[in-house]
Formats: sequence, structure tokens, C-alpha cells
Amino acid sequence: MKTWHRFAACIALGLVGGAAFAVHQVRGDYADKQVHNGQWSANTDQGTASASALTRAKVALNGLLALPAKEAMYFITRTDSEGRPLEGRCTYTVTGGELDARWWSVTLYKGEGWLVKNAANRWSVAGNAPARDAQGNWSFTVSPNPTEGVWLPTGRTPHFDLTLRTYHPRGALLNDPANAKLPTVTREACA
Amino acid sequence: MIRNWMFPIIAGLLVSAFAWQGVLFATPYALMSKAMDVIGARAPANSFAFGALANADNQPIVRPSPDLVYSSCVFDVSKGPVLVDVASVPGHYWSVSIFDARTDVAAVRSDRDTGGKRARLALIKTGQTAPQGYEPVRLQYDRGIALIRILLSSPAEYPVVDAIRRKSTCKQL
Repeated sequence: MKTWHRFAACIALGLVGGAAFAVHQVRGDYADKQVHNGQWSANTDQGTASASALTRAKVALNGLLALPAKEAMYFITRTDSEGRPLEGRCTYTVTGGELDARWWSVTLYKGEGWLVKNAANRWSVAGNAPARDAQGNWSFTVSPNPTEGVWLPTGRTPHFDLTLRTYHPRGALLNDPANAKLPTVTREACA
Repeated sequence: MIRNWMFPIIAGLLVSAFAWQGVLFATPYALMSKAMDVIGARAPANSFAFGALANADNQPIVRPSPDLVYSSCVFDVSKGPVLVDVASVPGHYWSVSIFDARTDVAAVRSDRDTGGKRARLALIKTGQTAPQGYEPVRLQYDRGIALIRILLSSPAEYPVVDAIRRKSTCKQL
């Protein structure tokens, strides 16, 4: 093999390998400066000039035009509270207490972040929708079929994620998101 | 044998590092450019497109919120400042955010920041000045997106909120 053949092979492999690794990183779960709280994760420097190239690329792919943290914190989970992937054929109960923000909602997405077609034409649950008990706790159901109470349809998409939006977050939600009290997602049954 | 391959392998590793960083660097610009094309097709440059509520059949950008009404303006300050004038929607969360071509937020102002008054922003680049009465927003790039978000408590509020938001303007000075 001639010298230039060896260079050409290594450079071609380097180009493909480097680009493939970048795509893998952008599409994967890992991100620097990502905060984890139970099964939820959030970026704290999205939209800022200090964001790393990886964070900027991941936000561009999964949440283009997202607001910076002081305006809104976005928490995403792709698993239930036991770490199992969220599946459209299963029923889940989402339970939580008051969140320290001006307004919040939970929205169901598939893939990189697309609303799922469903017969009820419902894609999110706003913070004012579920009833509260005496302690201020609330719950709603995520399932393929209608249920009593507040219901968020899965549209039977194979896999989905839930995005918790908190606008004008305060206290721990903004300053210590890794330890803020966030909702739990409990799997009840699978069809 | 090993000596024959040492320099080609080093060259390959260097190229892979450049390719890795190059893809990470280029991704936000590419996706933002695509978003500007999609949103820009809905209204001329430097003017607001008043989008309908997001649903499964209307998702111009990734991860839209079905609870928010979005209005977007693809701006270009290359020929002069662009003035963004946002009507306040009483009793509702609203904000206007300015995203540059790299996806960075150059400014965000909400009803909390303006005390319920309208937001008046002048998007400018180096060498341009903001007219009186407008808050200057200095940009590193000529193009970007101004995005208004308005929260609805229920879809029934849409007609009233829609009428108010259409008083917002995005125009070249």
C-alpha cells in the first residue's frame, strides 16, 4: 500500500468517525451542564452565550427557540420513576405537589419533540387542570384510553417523553433544580 | 509496519477531532437556518407571522407548546435596525425573545419585565443606533428570529388574544 493510500484511508475514517461521534452525542442522552432530578433532566445554560457547542447543538435539535432558565425551566423525562422507558401502550399516574413557578404544564411528545395525534386532540395538562387535595397534591393519568379525571392521551405512540415546563420559576426550581420537588411518573399497567 | 501507519493514524485522529467539533459547531446554525426558512415562508422578512395554536398537524418547530400562542418574525438587520413592538396582553403571561443565528438568546422580555406595558426593542448590529423609546438589542449576526409567546388558560381565549397580538409589529426602520 502506498503512503498516500494510508493517509487517505485514515483521513476518511477520521472524517466519518468524528462526524458520526458528534451525531451520536447530539442525539444521545449525555449532555454537559445537565441537571438530573430523579428521572427528570434539564439544561441550565440553554440559550446563553456560555452554552457549550454540545449543549447548543442538542437544544437546537430537541428544543429550538427554548427560553433561558430565568424565564422558563424545561424538565424532560423519557422513563418512569423506576427507569423504564415510557411506552404508549401503558398507563401512568403523574403525581405532584405545588411547583414554585408562575405557571406549569406537562406535554407529551414523541421522537425529537413532536405532538402525537390522538382522538381527544389533547397534548398537555396545564397546572390549573388537576384537582388538589387538602395538602395541595394533584395527579393525572397518561394512558392510551380515556380514564376518569384529567387524562393525557399517549396516542399509542411506541415511545414518548414528558416535558414539564415551568415559567418564571422561583426558589429551588430555578436555583437548585437537582433538588427541587418534581412530579413522579408511576407505571400502573401495560396493554 | 507500525512506522508506516503512525503518521496516517495521527492525521486521521486530528481530522476526526475537527470533524467532531465541526459538526457540533455547525448544527445550531443549520437547524436555525432551516427554522428561518420554514417560519420565513409564512410571512415576509421583518414582519410577524401570527401562527395558529400548535397541534399534531401544526408544528412549525420542534417541541411546540399547545398552551402558547406563537408569533414569529424572521428579522434581518443587514440593511438597518429592526423595531419589534409587542402589544401587552393583560392578565396573561407573555414574552418576546430574540434568537440569533447561533440560537443564542440576545434578549427576552416578559410582562414581568415591562410591568404589563408593551415591549419595544430595537434590534441593531455594530454601527447602528436605536431610535428613542426603544431598548437596544445588540446582535452578533444579521439574521434571527423574534418570537412572542402568549399563554392561554383555555383555547376559548384565543379570539380575544389573537386580536390583541396582531397589534404587535416587526419592521425595518
